[in-house]
Amino acid sequence: MRPPPVAPGTPPVLQLVGIAKYFPGVIANEDVSLDVLSGEILALLGENGAGKSTLMNVVTGIYLADAGEMIFDGYGVQFSSPQEAIKAGIGMVHQHFKLVPAFTVAENIHLGWSETPRNASPAVLEARTQELSERFGFPVDPSARVEDLSAGEQQRVEILRVLARKARLLILDEPTAVLTPSEARDLFRALRAFRAEGNAVIIISHKLDEVMEISDRVTILRGGRKIGTWDTADCAPRMLAATMVGREVVRQNLLLRSEGAAPRGTVPELSLRDVSVRDDRGVTTLSDVTLDVFGGEILGIAGVAGNGQRELTEVLTGLTPPGRGTVLLGGAPAEPGAAAFARQGVGHIPQDRLHSALAPSLSITDNMVLREYEQPPIGGHGFYHAEAALELAREIANIAEVNIPDFAMPVRNLSGGNQQRLVARREIRIARRLLVAAYPSRGLDIGAIATMHRYFADLRDQGVGIVVVSEDLEELLNLSDRIGVLCHGRLMAVLDAAEADIERIGLLMGGRTETSETKMSVAEGAILS
Amino acid sequence: MTRFQRFPTAPARLVLAWRAAALVAAALIIGLLLALSGRNVFELAVLVLKSTIGSRFGLEDLALFMTPLILTGSAVTVTSRIGLWNIGGEGQFYLGAIGAAGVGLYMPGSPIVVLPVMAVTAMLCGVAWIAVPTLARAYAGVNEIITTLLLNFVAGLLTYWLATGPWRDRVTGALASTGRIHVAIPEFWGVVHWGFPIALLVAGGLAAIMTWTSWGYEVRISGANPGAARYAGMPTRARIIAVMLLSGALAALAGMFEVAGTVHRLQGGMADNFGYLGIVVAVLARRSCLAVIPAALLMALILDAAIVLQTRQLAATVVLAITGLVLLLIAIGDELAHYRPVTPAVRLPPSAPVATPKVTT
Repeated sequence: MRPPPVAPGTPPVLQLVGIAKYFPGVIANEDVSLDVLSGEILALLGENGAGKSTLMNVVTGIYLADAGEMIFDGYGVQFSSPQEAIKAGIGMVHQHFKLVPAFTVAENIHLGWSETPRNASPAVLEARTQELSERFGFPVDPSARVEDLSAGEQQRVEILRVLARKARLLILDEPTAVLTPSEARDLFRALRAFRAEGNAVIIISHKLDEVMEISDRVTILRGGRKIGTWDTADCAPRMLAATMVGREVVRQNLLLRSEGAAPRGTVPELSLRDVSVRDDRGVTTLSDVTLDVFGGEILGIAGVAGNGQRELTEVLTGLTPPGRGTVLLGGAPAEPGAAAFARQGVGHIPQDRLHSALAPSLSITDNMVLREYEQPPIGGHGFYHAEAALELAREIANIAEVNIPDFAMPVRNLSGGNQQRLVARREIRIARRLLVAAYPSRGLDIGAIATMHRYFADLRDQGVGIVVVSEDLEELLNLSDRIGVLCHGRLMAVLDAAEADIERIGLLMGGRTETSETKMSVAEGAILS
Repeated sequence: MTRFQRFPTAPARLVLAWRAAALVAAALIIGLLLALSGRNVFELAVLVLKSTIGSRFGLEDLALFMTPLILTGSAVTVTSRIGLWNIGGEGQFYLGAIGAAGVGLYMPGSPIVVLPVMAVTAMLCGVAWIAVPTLARAYAGVNEIITTLLLNFVAGLLTYWLATGPWRDRVTGALASTGRIHVAIPEFWGVVHWGFPIALLVAGGLAAIMTWTSWGYEVRISGANPGAARYAGMPTRARIIAVMLLSGALAALAGMFEVAGTVHRLQGGMADNFGYLGIVVAVLARRSCLAVIPAALLMALILDAAIVLQTRQLAATVVLAITGLVLLLIAIGDELAHYRPVTPAVRLPPSAPVATPKVTT
């Protein structure tokens, strides 16, 4: 699929010349020059901290460049606020959606928009939204509340909001991170349609396959500088990965056990027996899940976000007591409570580390002892020994290979990758039986993901059971010995990785199975949720 | 090309330096205003210094002011550590005073017995007073700021009613107070009673609990991020309840010290804003239990200075004006402490392109 031909002499939609942005002690961007042509999809590749987000924040007026020039549609521009960028026709869809959850889709589309009619009655707004939705080919339900929508639907609202404001250049930050394969295909189809009208798209991604599929050209940033721009047709994923990281990336076979690795256990470390969970509103979010996790294996959990992953993770780690059914730890009924699970050797790397695994405003030391503050040498008899705490924090930082100048510094000052490493090592320390990791590689770059996967493989070889929840099927297939698939709170199947392939898992994720009997139960699950 | 940039953290050193500067600036502004209104600033300054830190009498007065301020300041500080605000220090102070006065008026016996009973009763009354806001917060998520605040007015009126009604002084016939209580906290230095060192010990003890116990750690985590506390399986609700009840007890203890150490009777309006000033003290102390002591000292200085100024025919409201000015300037100083000069990691090339003129499209 080549982009449509563009008349010679058409200026690039966006031209960056020698853009630089400095932060104290850090070069976020320097000497970045870049053209985005009319009718093309440009992929922006780079590791975490390569300066992709900073560059896009400069383009969308969140930051002011310290040096350089920005030319949009042939005119030099300087945006001092995101509003000016939107007015000029540059729209950005962030990784974390900027929608009002309690508002309807129509209200979100019309929020802060100069063309919102004075008569902003629901009927008028919804009719306008419907019309926009059809014009741009992004189906949405105008009267639905955003909080009730899936991530993919929310993303459509976000994109529609940007398109409605007549964006010529659409910037997407890791748009497929929250989408199912089929939702991603829908998105790509819509992006191609947008491109066909002579508009331009910049897509930030870590996923090389996607970049190969959707983009016309690829620009790679490393250490804040541009390494180069290539036609995607001339690129191979391997070459892109090597250029991005700056060295050859060796694909490690994680399924290969090291010598002397503990064998897969014969007695399950943790078992769920007919476990069901209802949320506050009485909706069943997890229904009749029966599952065994053995020591020395990695069990992957696939599924579209919002199909019971959070609840499963919380039941496995003791955060939520099951409404019905039992949880067995090492064959015996588990003592309830997250703290008790941790004491019994269950580690937990949660989905949103800043919101639940860490207290961002507290020191690194305080955060590193979260799991062991009650045990000697830090705790015991109600005391808290600050020096022992610091000692433990140093130890964890050492193993995690995170260089920390000051342990009294708030943990939010660390980069996302370093936070994730510290949390992972903290949890691996206590995971004698089981480690539950939800979306462990979300937001991490290739190098950091490889490190994280290595941690898991090493832990598996020590005989610990690991549950990895992820939407990235590649990741699951690379890591897992078995893969369970969740759909509408039901565990559709647990497949041996050897017999699993993406197509089959994809079908199960969508709730389709070969047998009609399970179809029935799926339909039931859909009604329940 | 050095410029100032805002950092997410402010080092203690810078905070102290900026606060010192803020206090100097406040003193200069007050002096300037007094000079403009035709006062002899120098003479006033000498007088204020002499009657606060410059004389034994002044120091004793400061200690008497500091005693309740340390306790009400601690009451607000402990709740702020778990992310809550007890605005009801004034009410709990009154309840402490009521409880202490009730015991003191009607329980015969030697001070060795009566005083501890007064203290315990006072704290229990304070705990009871904050119990409803506490349970509403812990179990129903009701905002504690409003509930604790509103109960202050109830407590104030209750005190007036008791002091002028059932408990009124039938001997001397004084209108707005009860009779004199037969026991008193002994004095150890001039008019300064033992409540002062006890208040210092309480502040120090709280700091130790917050720093050296796993309970303090749990409070810290629960306050900084309830999500992380839940994740680690901490009993957050129990901690919220404990901290709020402790807070009520602290403010009530201040009321007991006023009754048994300074006023020796229950009087309407005797809380004298100590509860509200505790909020000021806590804001100045920035969540540190130990910093409550210097913060209370500063507040006591302001109160004392204002009394001196009143003897020179300045309006009583001057204390509010000074407090407001000091708080404003200190808030500005705290914000400025976040800024540090930075030099870009790399010098810009001299031929850096000139920014193009803004074009509206």
